[in-house]
Amino acid sequence: MNKKYLIMVVEDEKLLLQAIIKKLELTGFVAEGYGDGDLALERLKKKDNLPDLIWLDYYLGDLTGDVFLKRMKEILEKNVWIPVMVVSNSASPQKVEETLKNGAEKYLLKADYKLEDLVGIAKEMTGQKKQNDT
Amino acid sequence: MASQKPENWFFRVKGLVFIQAFVTVTVVGLGWGWDLVRVEWAAVMSLMSGLLLAITLFSIRHLREVEKDLEDGKNKAEKERELQRVMLSSIGEGVVVLDTEAKVRLLNQAACKMLGWKMEEAIGKDWDIVAPLMDEQGNLIDKSKRATKRVLEEGIVLTNNKNCYVDKGGRVFSVGTTAAPIVIEGKTTGVIAIFRDITHDKAVDRAKSEFVSLASHQLRTPLSAIKWFTELLASGDVGEMTPEQKQFLENIYSSNERMIELVNGLLNISRIESGRIIIDPKLTDLGVLVKQIINDLVAQVSEKKLEMIVSLHPNLPQMNVDSKLVAQVYMNLLTNAVKYTPAGGQIEVMISLKGDEVLSRVSDTGYGIPPDDQKKIFERFYRAGNAVKMVPDGTGLGLYLAKTIVESSGGRIWFESEVGKGSTFWFTLPLTGMQAKSGEVRIS
Repeated sequence: MNKKYLIMVVEDEKLLLQAIIKKLELTGFVAEGYGDGDLALERLKKKDNLPDLIWLDYYLGDLTGDVFLKRMKEILEKNVWIPVMVVSNSASPQKVEETLKNGAEKYLLKADYKLEDLVGIAKEMTGQKKQNDT
Repeated sequence: MASQKPENWFFRVKGLVFIQAFVTVTVVGLGWGWDLVRVEWAAVMSLMSGLLLAITLFSIRHLREVEKDLEDGKNKAEKERELQRVMLSSIGEGVVVLDTEAKVRLLNQAACKMLGWKMEEAIGKDWDIVAPLMDEQGNLIDKSKRATKRVLEEGIVLTNNKNCYVDKGGRVFSVGTTAAPIVIEGKTTGVIAIFRDITHDKAVDRAKSEFVSLASHQLRTPLSAIKWFTELLASGDVGEMTPEQKQFLENIYSSNERMIELVNGLLNISRIESGRIIIDPKLTDLGVLVKQIINDLVAQVSEKKLEMIVSLHPNLPQMNVDSKLVAQVYMNLLTNAVKYTPAGGQIEVMISLKGDEVLSRVSDTGYGIPPDDQKKIFERFYRAGNAVKMVPDGTGLGLYLAKTIVESSGGRIWFESEVGKGSTFWFTLPLTGMQAKSGEVRIS
């Protein structure tokens, strides 16, 4: 990875957030962690140096993943979109469908994946973005 | 009434005899006295007049009885109608009867209460005005698209629990309805519909669903943290470890994986029991499926130096089953066999065809199930006494889950066991496979 991609991680479980950030940094990403959905949305409002990918938990305490996606859509300019991978421990087909409809590209179940596999998916997603940009 | 009959007859006969005697004496006396007729004719005439009189009296009597019967019948019909009216108004569910133009002919008390209309106001009004229909998104449904129209046109019974009614005051409530045609002499003369306010039921369903979802989230979160941190340590990302440290870490990792399995097991049971499970049958090779499961158990099998034998029917067809569900059954039976068979023992899996079923057999040379425990072995959370002593870890959910899956798929499960010799479990699945079912959740 020549360019260091920026990944915003929104996860309200401190320990999980710590593990994700550590693994992403070890893999060569720049990771920004947010334990609160509102704080993450405030960060997006600044609009400078937007992340290349958002790693989003579904239940964030203050809000849910699909609400986050809707509000993110309102914040971002019309022609700007950041790919989102939802990594949650709750994945009813209805919730997955709704979240994907609201703009998430992937919905993954935490307990089913090793951290390494999830980081691999993040790599693929930022790689896809790179191809689309060129 | 029956006791009065002889008395009636007695009075009737007595009266007739008297009248006839009077007429006979009069006619014969007069005729004979005046020498108008001969005695014989006078006698015949008197008899005939008596007969006529008797017929007249009988007719009057009969008419009175018919009249009384009619009166009784009318009272009975009225009583019957009153009973029906009371029964209708006592039904807790809303009942509406519509004519062929979907106008209200009858609305019971529960319906009036739910919709906020008085019966006399609603009668004759268009049903679409009395009970406007809305879809789940809050859009009003046009009367041309309502079930009543289809019921009237096609003469079919329709059931729906996805829409809402709007009452007279504008309150919207979820409603479960069943509408059926009223058919008289082969002709549809109206619609009868039964409906129920299901707002509370829907809220309970949502709450249950949300609870299971939240519980899974809460339980899985710390397990994910353990999984990911042990992974970070084991990968050497944060420094190298001694082989022994690595071994201990692997133990933590595998214990955690078991814990994740337990949570998944509990969730799966809750999903199956609530009927919310998705059954998605696809053509599956059971032989391949079993071999994959055995492959997952290879570490435990080799650690205990168990002999694993698999024998498959040579012409075993692919089956239309939900492989995730069937895999759970094999996995639970095989995991038990591995756990409860001492080192050096033997486990055998056999899949064969028997009539219109596929028969699977998992046998072991393990500890066996004590007779006292055998009756309860398929119960939730139940573990046999010797199993608890020899293998303290265990959920007591595996066999219950296996039984639930097999029986909900139209199969059977049973076993034979002898302490010290081993256990054999059999289960069948119909060759026709599993019935697809759309639900909300999948097994994990």
